[in-house]
Amino acid sequence: MTDDLTHRRPTMIRCQSCGEDVAGFEAYCEGCGAELTPIMLAPPEYEEADSPLEPTRAVSTPAPTRPRCRECGGAIDDDGYCEVCGTKAASDRDHYEEAPAPWVAGSCDRGIRHRRNEDALALSAAVVPGSRAVLVVCDGVSTSDDSDVASLAAARAARDLLTERQPQGIADPAGRDRALREALTEAVRVANESVIAVTAAETRNAASCTFAAAVVHEGRVICANVGDSRVYWISDHGSSQLLSRDDSVAQMHIELGLSREEAESSPHAHAITKWLGRDAPDLAPTLRSLEVTESGWLVVCSDGLWNYASEPEDLERVFAESLLRRTPGADPLILADTLVRWACTQGGRDNITVALARFGDPLDLSVLAG
Amino acid sequence: MAEFTSAVYQNEFLPDGGTDVNAIVTVTCTNAGMAGSNGGNVGEIIIVDTSGSMGETNMEAAKNAAIVALDHIVDGTWFAVVAGNHQAYLAYPMARGGAGMVRMDANTRFQAAQAIRYFHADGGTAIGSWLNLTRALFQSVPGLTQKHAILLTDGENHNETPQQLDAAIRASIGQFQCDTRGIGIDWKVNEIRKVAQALLGTVDIIPHSSELPAAFATLMQRSMSRGVSAAELRVWVPQGAEILFVRQVSPTVEDLTARSTQVNALTTAYPTGAWTDESRDYHVSVRLPARGVGQEQLAARVQLAVAGQVVTQGLVKAKWSSDDTLTTRINPAVAHYTGQTELADAIQQGLAAKASGDDRTATVKLGRAVQLAKETGNDEATAKLRKVVDVTDEDAGTVRLKKSVDRADEMALDTASTKTTRIRG
Repeated sequence: MTDDLTHRRPTMIRCQSCGEDVAGFEAYCEGCGAELTPIMLAPPEYEEADSPLEPTRAVSTPAPTRPRCRECGGAIDDDGYCEVCGTKAASDRDHYEEAPAPWVAGSCDRGIRHRRNEDALALSAAVVPGSRAVLVVCDGVSTSDDSDVASLAAARAARDLLTERQPQGIADPAGRDRALREALTEAVRVANESVIAVTAAETRNAASCTFAAAVVHEGRVICANVGDSRVYWISDHGSSQLLSRDDSVAQMHIELGLSREEAESSPHAHAITKWLGRDAPDLAPTLRSLEVTESGWLVVCSDGLWNYASEPEDLERVFAESLLRRTPGADPLILADTLVRWACTQGGRDNITVALARFGDPLDLSVLAG
Repeated sequence: MAEFTSAVYQNEFLPDGGTDVNAIVTVTCTNAGMAGSNGGNVGEIIIVDTSGSMGETNMEAAKNAAIVALDHIVDGTWFAVVAGNHQAYLAYPMARGGAGMVRMDANTRFQAAQAIRYFHADGGTAIGSWLNLTRALFQSVPGLTQKHAILLTDGENHNETPQQLDAAIRASIGQFQCDTRGIGIDWKVNEIRKVAQALLGTVDIIPHSSELPAAFATLMQRSMSRGVSAAELRVWVPQGAEILFVRQVSPTVEDLTARSTQVNALTTAYPTGAWTDESRDYHVSVRLPARGVGQEQLAARVQLAVAGQVVTQGLVKAKWSSDDTLTTRINPAVAHYTGQTELADAIQQGLAAKASGDDRTATVKLGRAVQLAKETGNDEATAKLRKVVDVTDEDAGTVRLKKSVDRADEMALDTASTKTTRIRG
């Protein structure tokens, strides 16, 4: 290219004003702008129609990043389907994730069988692990109208209130607990108002949803639930436990002496006895506190997950297997997503929501493998 | 500027474990403009059979028809006239080397008509050689973007082997489009249909020489109204899926499956030839790996591409459901065209069986054709079938072969067998 240009280079003339060397066809000096007398004709702009152009910079602007398919990683076309496997792109409501801090994250997904995602998730967290976090999960009741809108409104209202109401400067642990319990009870009320606010006045199928929330405050966990969304502590050391208590027919049966397995497989097991919404019978949540003294996972989830592993020991095993299968360490977002996919492979009969907070050091996977 | 739209008719619901998705995609072109109006040069070649069998009457009618066709070629179009018997002759222009075609103007039109008036019926028939010369003429003019020929014959391809004809057809695929017409009853429908189908044209019988000029005028007018030169139908299917077939089902049935070229790993293209203001329906059948109940995915993107650019796209979807009321429904358009495709096959197979003396098969096939023609509301097929068979029971498809059949009626049934009707309502 350079050689090619060299022998086509025009005769140069020197500007009398500033001494600049200028091509012989120029009528004005490029250096000082003085008027010159050209000694030759200007060359044509292009020698040939197809003479190569040499842009001084890339003319293409960088392509905006396109969403990727969650089945195969292919690009999503403008028509809303994957360009490789044809999978319908999840809408923002069908699948979304939140990760407010490296130790807190959650994933909320439509699952396989349901046409909409009526689950909702809302999280907040401070950067320091174990310091402060709010995890809220609401599961919209499918038989009611607009429960997808209602559950999201409820979860976000509760999250915002609980984030704002984290106790400041209360030294007394009992006083802190009391403040947090009051905040959670208040959060249920605010969430309930949010559900009613999006309920159409004339509807006979008032929007409704469950409520499960956990607040982390300096190593302490306070949780509350209404309905059958759950809070678990999944221990790294085999002492996992269910912190919430379902408001469901199955739970009533358990309390009457049936085994969990029997109770949860009975026909009306999933009927809930409490919920949020215009026709809510009772807004009093079940409250529970836990002092975290070991490493593990705080889990808030909808029945889309626990349907496939209800006992804390079973869920603990699923956690261990998921952690071994995916990347090492303990990234809560990767784990939440792995658990959602696991529930999908189990049938994905319901919407699936998993919110996680990691306590303690990153996992030593060799312990799990042993 | 031509505009394209598309519409998809399908039942997207599949049962648990279901894999096959069928859809009818209607592609419609509007504002196509005149041939050549969207840039690019258009070429037309008129091929006239001048074999001895044409006789004086047909030869005179063919000359008239060719001259009428010249009148309908728009000024500025590149054109040529080929006379064919057991060899092919360039009748006009008088060219020795260089371009074998000239642009149409008042002068060249007059000269071409003069050349046509010198035609006289003599010699045999070698249609492959006519196609080979036509192809060479089109190739002699650089930059032709739309190439179309009209071919008229009256007899069987006696002076070539079937292999020679096939080779000439193969070499011409994608080079030019060709509408074919047979005059009288001594030509073979299968032979000429093969040419028309491969070269994206039509085939028809012209029973009486008096109808020839009007037929040529119509063909040339139609060709001149095709403002969109070669377009292709593109079908994208997801990774792991398989295209079972792609058929044009309206205005005629043409199986395109074997004419595919690969655009990329997931996209296959099928030639459609040039477009005027018209609608064409395509039946696309795709086999997918089954997914779980409740899953939804795209089964195919069906696109029309002009000069490499996609101008319209229809989406064929698949949703797996456990609801039998959804999954067992057959889309009316799919059912209609499945019936019409079977109708075309039944007519062609029935007539072939009849020709080979297998009256039993002919009776069964043509009976089925009568039944399908009624079911799908194809009145033209019904009318033509009734000239070949006596119908005992239309609904049951019970027929008897007529004792004596006008050969022209039988050929008309054969050439029209691929014509379909659109779904009613």
